[in-house]
Amino acid sequence: MIKIQGLHKSFGSHEILKGIDLEVNKSEVVVVIGPSGSGKSTLLRCVNYLEVPTAGKIFIDGEQIEPSTNINRIRAEVGMVFQHFNLFPHMTVLQNIMLAPLKVRRQDPKEAETQARELLARVGLSEKADAFPDELSGGQQQRVAIARALAMRPKIMLFDEPTSALDPEMVNEVLDVMRDLAESGMTMMCVTHEMGFARQVADRVLFVDEGQILEQGTPEQMFSNPQSERAKDFLSKIL
Amino acid sequence: MFDLELIFNSLPLLGLGALVTMEITAVAVAFGVCIGLFIGIAELSSYAWLRLPAKVYVDFIRGTPLLVQIFIIYFALPALIGMRIEPFVAAVTACSINSGAYVAEIFRSGIQSIDRGQREAGRSLGLTWGQTMIFIIIPQAFRRIIPQLGNEFIAMLKDSSLVSVIGFEELTRKGQLIIASTYGSLEIWTAVAILYLIMTLSISRLVAYLEKKFNTKKVS
Amino acid sequence: MKLHFLKPLLAVSAVLMMGQSLAETKVIRAGTEPTYAPFEFLDENTNSIGYDIDIINEIAKKAGYEVEIVRCPFDGLIPALMTSQIDVAISGITITSERKKKLDFSTPYYHSGLTAVILKENADKYAKIDDLKDKKICGQIGTTGLMYAEKISKESKAFNTNPEAYMELKSRGCEAVITDKPVNDFFLSKAPKDHFVALDDVVEAEDFGIAVRKGNDEMLKIINDGLAELEKSGKLKELYKKWFFE
Repeated sequence: MIKIQGLHKSFGSHEILKGIDLEVNKSEVVVVIGPSGSGKSTLLRCVNYLEVPTAGKIFIDGEQIEPSTNINRIRAEVGMVFQHFNLFPHMTVLQNIMLAPLKVRRQDPKEAETQARELLARVGLSEKADAFPDELSGGQQQRVAIARALAMRPKIMLFDEPTSALDPEMVNEVLDVMRDLAESGMTMMCVTHEMGFARQVADRVLFVDEGQILEQGTPEQMFSNPQSERAKDFLSKIL
Repeated sequence: MFDLELIFNSLPLLGLGALVTMEITAVAVAFGVCIGLFIGIAELSSYAWLRLPAKVYVDFIRGTPLLVQIFIIYFALPALIGMRIEPFVAAVTACSINSGAYVAEIFRSGIQSIDRGQREAGRSLGLTWGQTMIFIIIPQAFRRIIPQLGNEFIAMLKDSSLVSVIGFEELTRKGQLIIASTYGSLEIWTAVAILYLIMTLSISRLVAYLEKKFNTKKVS
Repeated sequence: MKLHFLKPLLAVSAVLMMGQSLAETKVIRAGTEPTYAPFEFLDENTNSIGYDIDIINEIAKKAGYEVEIVRCPFDGLIPALMTSQIDVAISGITITSERKKKLDFSTPYYHSGLTAVILKENADKYAKIDDLKDKKICGQIGTTGLMYAEKISKESKAFNTNPEAYMELKSRGCEAVITDKPVNDFFLSKAPKDHFVALDDVVEAEDFGIAVRKGNDEMLKIINDGLAELEKSGKLKELYKKWFFE
């Protein structure tokens, strides 16, 4: 579903990604872990070209991303959830969810609204349809953000530290939604520090450090028997 | 000493001048907002061929007095194009071009003040750059810059008095013309000042109301 | 982007265009700056009136034309003439050799005599205009009066309109305002009696003419013929009496 070949990304002279090769299969849930500054967020953001790679190729569902031609069409197939939610504060929850289906997919407004309400029900926020984002708690906002991404019926969902900005008591309501999503067969790539979630839900865990995938394996392998010194060191600090 | 009757007799004429002042200000700011929106966005463009001319325009207009800009358009430009420009056209053109530069800076800072995450969220949903601007960035920026736009409106209203130098009969020029036959400087300039004050105070009230309306109820 | 703010603009431009097409009928468009009472100024209903306005109306009537008065700042009159936005300029314009290079002038219709207005408190100090030599003198830009002031004093000061010059005198920013006698007389008739006086001395200066675009001989002929007729019929004198305090 996602294929990455020889991905490099530099900001000025600073090289963040130093050659990433990765394939993610359909319905696979991949969790990316690693110390901060290791490049894991940049890797995720390269997948939908929010960051333009310095070198390398990225294929989504077999189609290579070419920024000049198909970038918006491919982005529509790849949902993304941000650390800081990034809901549109001037729109109601419902308008947030309906915007892209209306403008990008040119969906019928009635149909888009029905779908938006279904998604809100799915993330447990039916009664908040007409609220504005700043009237919601952080956890509720992030669930709306997930619903907003799902409204485009993406083939892939990217999560960039979706629970890092949340108060601890709100983390689980978001993880629950993500767990449901994984169980429904969504292809997912998540950058997260929630090791419990990784252990439960991930098919594969990647350990990224200094711009490279240092190690990967099933959660079982990674958490109980990491091979590299750096992974051992990192895991010992957060587990 | 203070001739109240003169003020009373002049009020209809001054009121007419005040209306003309409002008209030219409204038209200039309306054009200014259109110009300013495009120039402000151009200033943020990653394309140098868009960014540099926008920057030159803004720097030139903000770096030269409006009075000189009015003289250039009314007195100098006709010599170049061989056609006289009507005072109204010259006045509106000068004020719009001037306002455009200031509004451009207001829009530029407004757009820059919107969190980068908003743009990324829009783009990640598959919205184009233009859709992201129109549906996400500009509406938020616009709410944020209402006070500055109000200030620009007030500044323009006051600066529009400068077009009296080309004989355009707005409030200041009307005052000047009345004084030319009555010599009532004290009375007429006092009345003119009060009329300006009434207009600027009304605008700041209106802006305060709009700001409240947009920012508490969030009507989209 | 909503477009209804354009509607007033369209309306305005439509009005402007209508003005344009009206100008194609048999009309003399006369440019003037009505801040020079009693030559040209506004009445209470904001109509332009005065000696100059009557003269151009009389000339036009005789030649079978309508007059459209175009109000315009004094410095804008020459550009307006040169680009044919107006047909004649009649605004107390002094005939100077400098202006003759750019414009054609009619025969003189007013023989200029300059006077000086001073503060009454200084009445003992000055008897003749030339006593003001090297004193601070105010006048209006582009007028004969200011030209004379500049000739006798380096301290002369120019204002955009005459009333501003009088205000400067009132606040003791200068010693005198030199301008055409009718203008000073008109001012004295409106000003508080005990404040200002005019010197009895009258200085001869250049004449006033009606300006037309260089080479517009057709219009020049209409104007000159009209002036000659007004002169002959005594109408010119009549208007002189009507507007000036003689």
